[in-house]
Amino acid sequence: MLELKNISKSFDGTPVLKNISISADDGEIVSILGPSGCGKTTLLNIILGILDTDEGQILYNGEDMTGVPMEKRGFNIVFQDYALFPNLNVYRNITYGLRNKPDVSSPQEVQELIRLLGLQEHLEKRIDQLSGGQKQRVALARTLVMKPRILLLDEPLSALDGVIKESIKEKIRTISREYQLTTIIVTHDPEEALTLSDRVLIIDSGTISQYAEPDEIIHRPDNEFVKKFILNQLEIKRSNIYALFDTPAQKAASM
Amino acid sequence: MKQKNRELKGIFFFIAALFAVFLLFPLIRLFIKSFWEGGLTGEFYSTVLGREGFGTVILNSFAVSGASACAAVVIAFVMAYAIHYTDLPSAVKKIFRAAATLPMFLPTITYGFAIIYSFGKQGLITRLLGFQIFDIYGFWGLMIGYMIYTVPVAFLLIDNTMGYIDKKMSVVSGLMGDGILSNFWISVFRPLLGTLAGAFIQAFALSFTDFGIPASVGGRYDVIATVLYNQMLGSIPDFNKGAVVAVIMLIPSVVSICILQLIEKYNIRYSSISRAELRANALRDGVWGVSGSVLSIVIVSIFAVIFVVPLVQEWPYNVSFTAEHVISVFRDNELVTVYRNSVFMALITAVAGTVIVYGAALITARSTLPGPFKKIIEFISLITNTIPGMVLGLAFLFVFSGTPLQNTFLLMIICNIIHYFSTPYLMMKNSLSKMNAGWETTGKLMGDSWLKTVLRVVTPNASSSLMEVFSYYFINSMITISALIFIAGARTMVLTTKIKQLQYVNQYNEVFVLSLLILFTNLAAKLIFMWLAKRSAAGKNRVKPDDKNK
Repeated sequence: MLELKNISKSFDGTPVLKNISISADDGEIVSILGPSGCGKTTLLNIILGILDTDEGQILYNGEDMTGVPMEKRGFNIVFQDYALFPNLNVYRNITYGLRNKPDVSSPQEVQELIRLLGLQEHLEKRIDQLSGGQKQRVALARTLVMKPRILLLDEPLSALDGVIKESIKEKIRTISREYQLTTIIVTHDPEEALTLSDRVLIIDSGTISQYAEPDEIIHRPDNEFVKKFILNQLEIKRSNIYALFDTPAQKAASM
Repeated sequence: MKQKNRELKGIFFFIAALFAVFLLFPLIRLFIKSFWEGGLTGEFYSTVLGREGFGTVILNSFAVSGASACAAVVIAFVMAYAIHYTDLPSAVKKIFRAAATLPMFLPTITYGFAIIYSFGKQGLITRLLGFQIFDIYGFWGLMIGYMIYTVPVAFLLIDNTMGYIDKKMSVVSGLMGDGILSNFWISVFRPLLGTLAGAFIQAFALSFTDFGIPASVGGRYDVIATVLYNQMLGSIPDFNKGAVVAVIMLIPSVVSICILQLIEKYNIRYSSISRAELRANALRDGVWGVSGSVLSIVIVSIFAVIFVVPLVQEWPYNVSFTAEHVISVFRDNELVTVYRNSVFMALITAVAGTVIVYGAALITARSTLPGPFKKIIEFISLITNTIPGMVLGLAFLFVFSGTPLQNTFLLMIICNIIHYFSTPYLMMKNSLSKMNAGWETTGKLMGDSWLKTVLRVVTPNASSSLMEVFSYYFINSMITISALIFIAGARTMVLTTKIKQLQYVNQYNEVFVLSLLILFTNLAAKLIFMWLAKRSAAGKNRVKPDDKNK
């Protein structure tokens, strides 16, 4: 279980995060949702350990991680633009971490991951020969080989188009379920957050606006921010899509 | 579309004709001269190559250019790393950047004299330390000079690539359990490898063909540039053998550019600037801060002497302050004329050069002209990149001696435009091709002619690049010597060629005052153009408060 207790962070005297406390269970997918500049990436960086928190604690299964350096926490991340190593081919990217920790995943486990993410026929390719969705899956595989205790995903879907988006969502869900892996996702898209996660953390200018299951957010929004910026967007989308699927007769009737 | 092509074709044929007459033709003449005198002959090659000591000269050139290029790349790397991968205050980073690029504003011949007056027996630094660090006339003098000369080029290349390297790779590498060295390799050094090799080759080629530094500190350590100069302007000029030496000087240049083209293909491309997210680390910042500062101080201290020598009575014997030397330069009508000549030449070069570069870049970046037209422009750019100034100047000497163009400003201006064409052309092309490709079509649909769209839409948006091109041409025209040494006449003397002349009569006070004039003129030009570029960029994004309410 991952617990954040009273996390606060300021840059040059300007508070970016104020008193954030949440917990996430094993195997749970949690999305951090908010407009750009709300502090969600800062929170992600604090969990990962690129940034130190000014106040508060990060606990993993009760163990204090606050002062532990990034590479010792055992958490791992897939960045928005993947940060794949362009001089290495797909396979060598995936198995990059095994040079340092040869025993972390067995050859069978690596093969299983490659199969799960559908990368078999791409292993010999260069990174610049891959599409966005393929790069995303390679980055996921590279991270999962390390068997992270927490998986962090920074805007995992925003660079992908339609159908690919849905298939990556499915992969993320499968992984989280099969490996009982706590997954933290940063996103600015309410649809993504609410359809993909078990719980959603909505952040508004550095504070928690609401932290709840998607169903509860939809039906019992805590405040105006959630209503206005999150639900409103989804309602516009819904009516647009309903309008698309309406038959001419229904349209005429609704006029 | 037809209209558009007619205008662009006009521009193309003008540019093609210009380079045919002033680049291709002189180069062919130079080649022919090296093996033809009343008939085909290998005599000139065999005498030059068979001359005693010529092998040593070539080896000297390779050794000292190679060593200085290595040093320049290392220095440039350290300074760029300190800028991109530390949390040092931005003021410190600005100083590093300024120090690393300072030598660009001075002619290489000045570096030589600055080294003599810093590290010579009576030099400023020698006196401060109490002993001479090395013998300046020879390998070490040349190496320090070349190194300072090429640090800016290497720095600009490395600084640029480092900005684009994905800094997240370092985080990933850390998470994957890499140690410091593996992390550095995969996330910094490996992505930078192509650029480092490119920077080395550029620095090498520049040193190999530079004339200013060996002209001042070469001493008995002959390099190919001194041989070429003596062959042509020494006591017994021999045009044919000069041509042979020029061709030999050309070979490494051509090879380097070929290698650069190859490396280019293997370079890894990144699409966006990436900033490092750094943890606070005082040790790291301290180490890189100190390294960067030491290097900055070394670079600046070598030039410090330029400010000291002309402002004291008689270096090193009477070091009391005086403004006499500076005043006497301004009283000397001849020197004032030379200064005016330089500024005049640089300004016209910048204006005409910018127009030509803009035309060429419009053809390759924003036209539908057929492939061969674009290929020819690209080829011109490639050729100008490989031709050392000395070789171009010599070729001009062969072709235009005895014509009305001999020793004219027009010829010198054309020479500069051609010599420095490549870099500003690539800058311009890059900026034009990034702009929205639909502008010309949109303009046409709105009833604009092609020319109108270019003037009303493309040019205003390209203004900051145009300023950069302008200042590049201006500054380089102010400091160039290698080509002009062969084609400047008594009436068209400019600052750099005058400095060479003053060296013969040992008037070093004047040398340094003129160098300072060049430095200040260039810094002023740079500041003005930076300000103009910033203003035009800001103007584009400015929205008047009332506009929103309308």
